[in-house]
Amino acid sequence: MKTRFISIVRLAASLALIGSLINVSHALKPGERVIVLNSGDGTVSIIDRATRKVMETRPVGKEPHHLVTTLDDSELVIANAASNDLVFLDPLSGEVKRRLPRIIDPYQLGYSPDGKWFVSVSLRLDRVDVYAMPSYELKARIPLAKTPSHVAFSADSKFAYVTLQDSDELAAIDLATQKEAWRIKIGKTPAGIWMSPQGLLFVGIMGRDHVDVIDPAKREVIKKIVTGKGAHNVFPMGNGEHVLVSNRVDGTIVKVDYKNLSVVGKPIKVGSGVDCMEVSADGKEVWATVRWEARVAVIDMTGAKPIEYIPVGRSPHGVYFKSHAKRDR
Amino acid sequence: MSKCGQARAYNLDMEFAFQGFESIVGWLFINAVQPLLFSLDLMSWSEQAFDATAFFVGGALSIVVTALVCLPLERLAPAQRVSTRTNVRTDVAYTLVNKLGLLPLLSFGVLLALVTPVDAWLRLHGFAPFSLEDVAPMLAALPLVSVLLYALVIDFFEYWRHRLQHRIHWWWQLHALHHAQRDMTFWSDDRNHILDELIAALWLATIALLIGVPPAQFPLVIFATKFIESLSHANLRWNFGLLKYVLVSPQFHRVHHAIGLGHEGARHGVNFAVMFSFWDKLFGTADFRDEYPATGIRDQTTGRDYGMTFWETQWLGFKRLFNRA
Repeated sequence: MKTRFISIVRLAASLALIGSLINVSHALKPGERVIVLNSGDGTVSIIDRATRKVMETRPVGKEPHHLVTTLDDSELVIANAASNDLVFLDPLSGEVKRRLPRIIDPYQLGYSPDGKWFVSVSLRLDRVDVYAMPSYELKARIPLAKTPSHVAFSADSKFAYVTLQDSDELAAIDLATQKEAWRIKIGKTPAGIWMSPQGLLFVGIMGRDHVDVIDPAKREVIKKIVTGKGAHNVFPMGNGEHVLVSNRVDGTIVKVDYKNLSVVGKPIKVGSGVDCMEVSADGKEVWATVRWEARVAVIDMTGAKPIEYIPVGRSPHGVYFKSHAKRDR
Repeated sequence: MSKCGQARAYNLDMEFAFQGFESIVGWLFINAVQPLLFSLDLMSWSEQAFDATAFFVGGALSIVVTALVCLPLERLAPAQRVSTRTNVRTDVAYTLVNKLGLLPLLSFGVLLALVTPVDAWLRLHGFAPFSLEDVAPMLAALPLVSVLLYALVIDFFEYWRHRLQHRIHWWWQLHALHHAQRDMTFWSDDRNHILDELIAALWLATIALLIGVPPAQFPLVIFATKFIESLSHANLRWNFGLLKYVLVSPQFHRVHHAIGLGHEGARHGVNFAVMFSFWDKLFGTADFRDEYPATGIRDQTTGRDYGMTFWETQWLGFKRLFNRA
């Protein structure tokens, strides 16, 4: 009887193990790496996503802050602000594929949804550069004082919306004419920006404690959603409902229902300077860089708490892994 | 070394150098600086303030490390007897002000307020400044090699800044404050007029515009350079042996500060190098004599007053600048 009991326990344990492996293979691509940009020491940390061990720390350029994938998700593009170049990585392994020089002071960046434009935001130099794709031919340098920070695109690719940190404004750039179309005053020190499928812009108001929700058709702030002090970045969860907001000063991440424009659940304490995020395809795991603590947090969204911290380089900023959630737009 | 091996060695170096340091910087920034920025509506300056915090912590650590090394050495083999402790105390004050206040503020304020708009204007009008990585693209993947190259180029420009400090009349009126120390110790390195420090920060920023921004590891080079500079001012009988032909030794630099040598002759002095002594050899200003002469300026022996305390020396520096002292 006892032997049979042990056999059943062993069988159950084996099934659980196989089940968890199947689960892992669904969640992760084999050999998948997490790529973290250490803006303060000009390196990328390549982390094995399954074991959460740093495999390598590799020099990549000066001040790599933000990253984006090409629209076909085949390349990961890293913007080296002080090296004035873009570095293209294999999004799965983190291997460097090529380098594109003479992109001046790229801080934040993005491709228009129609694939026609590449926009590079130069925070330090008060301007936004528009490049034609696929040649990366510079089409216009648009002076945009003061301190352009993050960029988002309208679904029809007509406009690029840029937050201006030091003048507390939001500017819209007409991509066809490459001219500033309009700008409006918004909250103090606006930073991260994201456009919802409903056509509303969500902007982290870093100098205060909320997200401004802006209707670009009306050109006005239609709601303020309080998320926490130092509201900074806005990142979709890919489930058609929620967006995550990181709050640098409070050191929290807050889930926001972007249709109902309301906060969902309690803030998750992550760490001071929490900034960019990446969400797993099933939405259960979020990786977030914690700038002032030189580490990246792995957050279990079911339990709503960080389950592991991984020390990385100085002032980690952008973070990415291949099997991420859909980018709701 | 293979590329992979190089990356691994680099990892170890970085981990060793940064882990403890970063936690102190992070703690200070999170608990003191960031709340201040938030309450003063200055959150946009977070990155720069974070770097300034690192300079502050680095400055404090470098004071401790330099004192731990230099104090016992100065006691072991002094080059001269200290005539008055007040002179030394003034230089201690200079070191504290410089390393804990001025350097973080200059790195934070000058670059942001003065240099960035110039850089922005130049780049907006199509002038893309030259960068060392343009010449040697492989440097991007070799930050430690890159950082040494930047250090060499910057030290070259520092040699010429120092020569101009002695050559240009008004500039010497400020720099004389540094040379007026008759009781030179390792604390004397930071004994500079505030305007002179401002010019030095602008000089460095301009070079950064010309050759590109040094890699992120550059602060380590700054601290290594500052250590050599402090050691070269030490009240210490040490000439580094054969290494004196590469690095500036306490003896080599004492000759630069010597009465009747350091600010005399057709080239307005000798031994101007800051870190690498070979610049003097290369440009015909080296004096490797095996002596430890008394330091100061010739006109001090005939009664010219350069002040004794921090404020006296600063004020007289201003007055000399306008020919009022």
